[in-house]
Amino acid sequence: MGGISKEEVALYDRQIRLWGMEAQSRLRTASLCFIGVKALTLEACKNLVLAGVGHITLCDGGSVKEEDLEVQYYFQPEDLGQAKDKVLAERLKMLNPLVDIQANSKLSDKDANLDKFDVVVAVGGRQCSPVQLNGLCRTAKATRFVAADSFGAFGYIFADCLDEHEYMEEVKSVGGGEASNSESKHQKLAAAYKPLSQSILAKPEAINTQRLLRKYPPLVFICQ
Amino acid sequence: MRSTKQLARIFGEETASRVSNARLLVVGAGGIGCELLKNLSMSGFQHIHAIDLDTIDLSNLNRQFLFQRKHIKRPKAEVAIKAIKDFNPGIDATAGQANIKEPDYDVDWFSGFDLVLNALDNLDARRHVNTMCLAAHVPLIESGTAGYLGQVTVISGGKTECFECQPKAAERKTYPVCTIRSTPSAPIHCIVWAKDYLFAQLFGERADEADDDQGMDAEEKAENMEELKQLREESRDLSRLAEAMGSAGFPKAVFEKVFSEDIARLLSMKDMWKQRRPPTKLDFAALLERVSAEFDPAHPDDQSVLSVEDSCALFVHTANKLAHRVLEQQKQGSQGFLSFDKDDEDALNFVAATANLRSQAFGIEQKSIFAIKAMAGNIIPAIATTNAIVAGMMVMQAIMVLSQRMAECHTAYVSYNSKRARSIIKEPLATPNPRCPICRRRYLTLRVPDCSKTTLGDVISHVASLNGTERDLQLGDDIAVVEGSRILYDPDFEDNLGESLKSLGIIPGRMVTLTNEDDDEGLVVPVVLNIAKHQGNANGTQVQLAIEGFEKIPKFAPLPDDHQDNGADAEDGSEDGAGVVANDQLAVDNKGAIIIDDDTDAHASNMGYISDELSKRQLDDATTDDQGPSKRRALETDNTAAKADNDDIVVLD
Repeated sequence: MGGISKEEVALYDRQIRLWGMEAQSRLRTASLCFIGVKALTLEACKNLVLAGVGHITLCDGGSVKEEDLEVQYYFQPEDLGQAKDKVLAERLKMLNPLVDIQANSKLSDKDANLDKFDVVVAVGGRQCSPVQLNGLCRTAKATRFVAADSFGAFGYIFADCLDEHEYMEEVKSVGGGEASNSESKHQKLAAAYKPLSQSILAKPEAINTQRLLRKYPPLVFICQ
Repeated sequence: MRSTKQLARIFGEETASRVSNARLLVVGAGGIGCELLKNLSMSGFQHIHAIDLDTIDLSNLNRQFLFQRKHIKRPKAEVAIKAIKDFNPGIDATAGQANIKEPDYDVDWFSGFDLVLNALDNLDARRHVNTMCLAAHVPLIESGTAGYLGQVTVISGGKTECFECQPKAAERKTYPVCTIRSTPSAPIHCIVWAKDYLFAQLFGERADEADDDQGMDAEEKAENMEELKQLREESRDLSRLAEAMGSAGFPKAVFEKVFSEDIARLLSMKDMWKQRRPPTKLDFAALLERVSAEFDPAHPDDQSVLSVEDSCALFVHTANKLAHRVLEQQKQGSQGFLSFDKDDEDALNFVAATANLRSQAFGIEQKSIFAIKAMAGNIIPAIATTNAIVAGMMVMQAIMVLSQRMAECHTAYVSYNSKRARSIIKEPLATPNPRCPICRRRYLTLRVPDCSKTTLGDVISHVASLNGTERDLQLGDDIAVVEGSRILYDPDFEDNLGESLKSLGIIPGRMVTLTNEDDDEGLVVPVVLNIAKHQGNANGTQVQLAIEGFEKIPKFAPLPDDHQDNGADAEDGSEDGAGVVANDQLAVDNKGAIIIDDDTDAHASNMGYISDELSKRQLDDATTDDQGPSKRRALETDNTAAKADNDDIVVLD
């Protein structure tokens, strides 16, 4: 069972029934870092904390402003001027005391050591350019990278899961019958991801521009 | 109060103002409800009422984030509303701990809202809210989630499909009685046997014998007559055994009856086992001799599959505990019936133990208590993120509905398939099913001063008096009046004309349906009259019957020329996103079935600058089809864009 206590099983019952005990064990030991505290950070961290990850470090360096109050429900007027990452860390702890949540404003420095994190998430580009952060993650070798941001009714997510990302894909068994066991077979596959620096450099001539513009709103390209 | 400057900047002042003035009803404050209430309170909505009959449980806390441990056992709606008021003090948010089906929540109550949002977990309540919203002429945003899957849609009477336009799969699967009682072949059969037969017969309210042949047609009943007779005998024997509760020999007697005697009888039906693996009898004493030394029946390990010996010990322990509870209750004057509750450890462990014993007898795979709990308790796995995604989409749709931009509403599915890059699939809202028995109706309100004085005849006369006027109900001459499944009146059945409404059970809150008696082809749109109290006249004059709501009746599309039934086999799309509803046989000139309000204008200047850009680009892309006014053009353009670009999440390599 990997050390999951009975209390945890009771709390996480409904999600364990979805993704299994093994997945819950892995979540439990996962260590994440969010650089940039925005509304998107709040939402993502809320979900991760509820899911029972092992550790989250928040890094921002900025303080709570008026515009933050409009969308971030865990910030109150009395938090104005306080360190964003510290305040959010405090509030998230109340959501699930089992998760270790820290604030560390120094992590976005270019010398930062991101080794101990399984995933680093760059929200927005204020602290440190996502391309640079992606590079730092690659240096750390086993740290996956996610960049994300939202503007009004738009948003983007980018993921670099490194060169040999292993994952399981469900293979539906044929003719199982309604009453047979609910486990279906899984096969292990691997995929190679590219860092953001390469993705941005993709030459437009290589792509059918007309088709692209029909599919994606122009704003997507402005984001880049 | 939180500022809404950004909301206005994104959607425009006009929309922001409609949002802040809108009165919302949120039905359900659980998984979707918590996320939804949080979103609404942070998106400029000022008037919110949440209703939920449930209380908070530990297993809710992995996703219903407005609740903490200290709130366990408190009402969900109350705690959720308090939480969002802490986020945004000053908003007008109220809570009710009640069942939405209660008579207080009548059509008048529903019509006090500008928009209703469902965050429910069962079909029955959804159907009810669907009907009430149609009757009150209030738009409804419908939603649902299960595991990684989710769905959102918009229901607007007369414009879009209602919840019942397409048949939905039954919520609970039922099994033939012979499979459960005689020839199980899967763990679920044994679990259903343990819960709905063994537990129920011994500790619960005795099942009605008439239910035994449920699900069988006449022919099957005849074939199985002998078998059913035997099964009834067995049930009766078991009930008699229940009387031995409390005695030391009770568990053994039950065991020998169901796992030895009944199985011996089954084995004697040689034909039954010609093609099937026959069961074997179990030996009570032999099993108990080999129970594991460290097994503690009071604390069984729920993650692993118990040995059959340990299951037997668990059975004895729980049978005694349950018997004891029944007897205690009887001492205190009640009948002592227990009903199965998956969170009742004794009941769950009893069902698990006996299900596994039966599986052992029939050579079926045995399961852990953890797994059995899910099957016996119909647990749906749930996580925070699916609910968060769905709630986010609900709020976007709510803003579109309130700002009368229905063209930008869709049905959206959150799907999960590791092979596909797309996780959100959207499709246009479908037009109503022209044969729908729920939404192809003129919903009106009949105000009655006093149901004990007004007769059915009075109502029918009143309806007739409107013929030929601008308030004609368009039913034609020979009408029939129905309430539920009872015929109250038709031209051949006039007995009730002199009866008061009250004596016929027609009181405020009930709905009666008026149809044309001779309308075989369904050309006449039936009228549903919601019976309501009269508000009373200000100057105190005698109040009369009055029918209201004519101005809210939508236009109904003409029936298709072929007059065939539509949509009989569409599936509930929330399964895997593949159940796409195709209604393109319906309206004659409908290309993509997006419905817009008559006053929607795709170029409305109240939209934020981003949206203008988007609309402009889409128009530029438009195929040249120049028939009709610009409004129609915009509609087709939207269709084109929607068809080519089904996905909200795109992947950049």
